[in-house]
Amino acid sequence: MNAAALRDDRLVDLLVKQTTEGVTLEEQAEIERLLAAYPGADREILARTAAAIALAGEVEDEPLPTALRDKLRDNAARWVVSRESKVADLGEHREARVTAAASVKRARGEVPSSRWPWFAAAACLVLAVTGWWPRLRDAQDVQRADVTQPGTAQPPGQVTPQPTQRPPEPTLAERREQLLAGGTAVSVPWSNTDDPGSRGVIGDVVWDNEKQTGYLRFSGLAANDPQRTQYQLWIFDKEQDQRYPIDGGVFDIPAGATEVVVPIKAAIPVREALMFAVTIEKSGGVVVSEREHIVTLAKTPVAAG
Amino acid sequence: MAESVLKRIAHGDPRAVADCIDEFGGLVWSIARRLTRARADAEDAVQEIFTDIWRSASRFDPAQGSEKVFITTIARRRLIDRLRRSSNEPATESTDVLEVAGWADPGSRGEICVEAERAAQALTQLRPEQQKVLQLGIVNGLTHSEIAKTTGMPLGTVKTNMRRGLLQVRELMSVLVDEAGEVRS
Repeated sequence: MNAAALRDDRLVDLLVKQTTEGVTLEEQAEIERLLAAYPGADREILARTAAAIALAGEVEDEPLPTALRDKLRDNAARWVVSRESKVADLGEHREARVTAAASVKRARGEVPSSRWPWFAAAACLVLAVTGWWPRLRDAQDVQRADVTQPGTAQPPGQVTPQPTQRPPEPTLAERREQLLAGGTAVSVPWSNTDDPGSRGVIGDVVWDNEKQTGYLRFSGLAANDPQRTQYQLWIFDKEQDQRYPIDGGVFDIPAGATEVVVPIKAAIPVREALMFAVTIEKSGGVVVSEREHIVTLAKTPVAAG
Repeated sequence: MAESVLKRIAHGDPRAVADCIDEFGGLVWSIARRLTRARADAEDAVQEIFTDIWRSASRFDPAQGSEKVFITTIARRRLIDRLRRSSNEPATESTDVLEVAGWADPGSRGEICVEAERAAQALTQLRPEQQKVLQLGIVNGLTHSEIAKTTGMPLGTVKTNMRRGLLQVRELMSVLVDEAGEVRS
C-alpha cells in the first residue's frame, strides 16, 4: 500500500474491515473502485500485517488430525492429476497424463500398497470428472474472456499484422457474431434482478442448442477479485430438475473493461435451455449454488412459450 | 538454500503439494480451529484452504513475506468468508477461552517466523485496549460487534482501536525491518 492510499480514510476503513471481519459484495466493489485511484498500491499489506499478528498469537500449532491429513492427501493427489490433465488438454504438454500418473505415484509413495486399487480408481474418476467439477478447477480453467478496455477497441475489420502466414484466430466477439450469423442460434437479452450487483448490467446470451455452444456478453457487470469471488453461469434445462441447473463455468470481469464476451462451457449437454443465470460465488465456483447473489437472468423463447 | 514448497508447487513439482500439507497442516488446522465454531467446520475449511493455497502458489513472492504469512493470509481470508456466512449461528466458545490466549513472547520461540516475531514486538508497544481488540478480532476471529459485547467497549471505540492498532503494528514492523537492514515489504 502506498502512502497516499493509506491517507484515504474510507479505503483504509474498508481494508481493515476486510482483514478483520470481512466485507459485503458492495463494500468489495467500493474497495476495487477506490484502489483504482492508487495504481501499484499493495492491497495485501494490512492482510499480511494481520497474518503476522495471528501468527504471533498462535502459541503452538495443534497437530493435524490423521483422518484429515489422509483426506488432504487424497485431495492433493486429485488436484495434481487435475492440473496436469488440464495442461495436456491445453496441448502444452502432450505427455502430461503419463507424467500425472507417475507424479501421483511418487507423491503417494508412502501410501500402503493395499490402498492402490482404490487410488487408481479415484485418479481415473478425477480424470473423468475434471471437466465438470468446479471445485477442482484452477485458474487455468476459468473461461477466457474477450475484453474491451476503454480506448482500446479495434475498428471492425482492422487486423493486426501477424508475423506468420497463419490466419489470425477470431476473437470471441467475432465467433459470437459468426454463431449468430449461422441462423440457428438464439439471442436473449439479460434481465436485471434485485441484487445490487445487477444494477446497470446489460448484454445478452447467444446460444446454439444444435452446436451446443454460445457466448455471454456483458457491459456494466462489476469487476471481481478472482481470489475472493467469481461469476458462475447456470443453465436451466427443460429436461433437468430446476433445483440443479447445469454448471456453465466460472469467469472473471477484469477492472476497467467496458464490454466482455465469455464463452459458455456447459458441463453436460443441454437438451433445451430455458434460462441462463449468473451468480456470484466463492473463488473456483460451487457445485450447487445457494443463489444468494443472482446478478442477471436471460429467459429463452422456450421458457416464454 | 532449498526451494520453498510454494515455489515448487508453482513449478509443477507434484510431491510439493503433499509436502505443503506436512509442512503447514498444523498451522492451518490451528488457525481454523480458532476461527470456526465447530470442529467439522474446521475440517471443511482446511480442505478449502489447501486448495486455495495450491492454486495461489504462483503468486507467492518471498520479497513480500514468508511462506507462513502467505499461507496464514489465505487461511484467514477463507475463514473470515466462512464466518461471515455463518454469522447468524451462535458461537460455541465461551469468552473465558478467549481471555487465556496471549501473544508469543518476543525472542522466546525459535520456530516463530520473523514477521510474527516483529508483530509480537510491535504489539508490546500498543495500549492494552488496542492489544485486546487485535487479539479478539484477529487471533480469535470475533467481529467488531462481538468484541464490543465481550469487552464492554462501545462499537466505535472497538473500530478505532482496531484500525489504529493494525496501522501502528504495520508501521512498527516496517521500522523493525529498516533497523534490520532488510528490504521493506
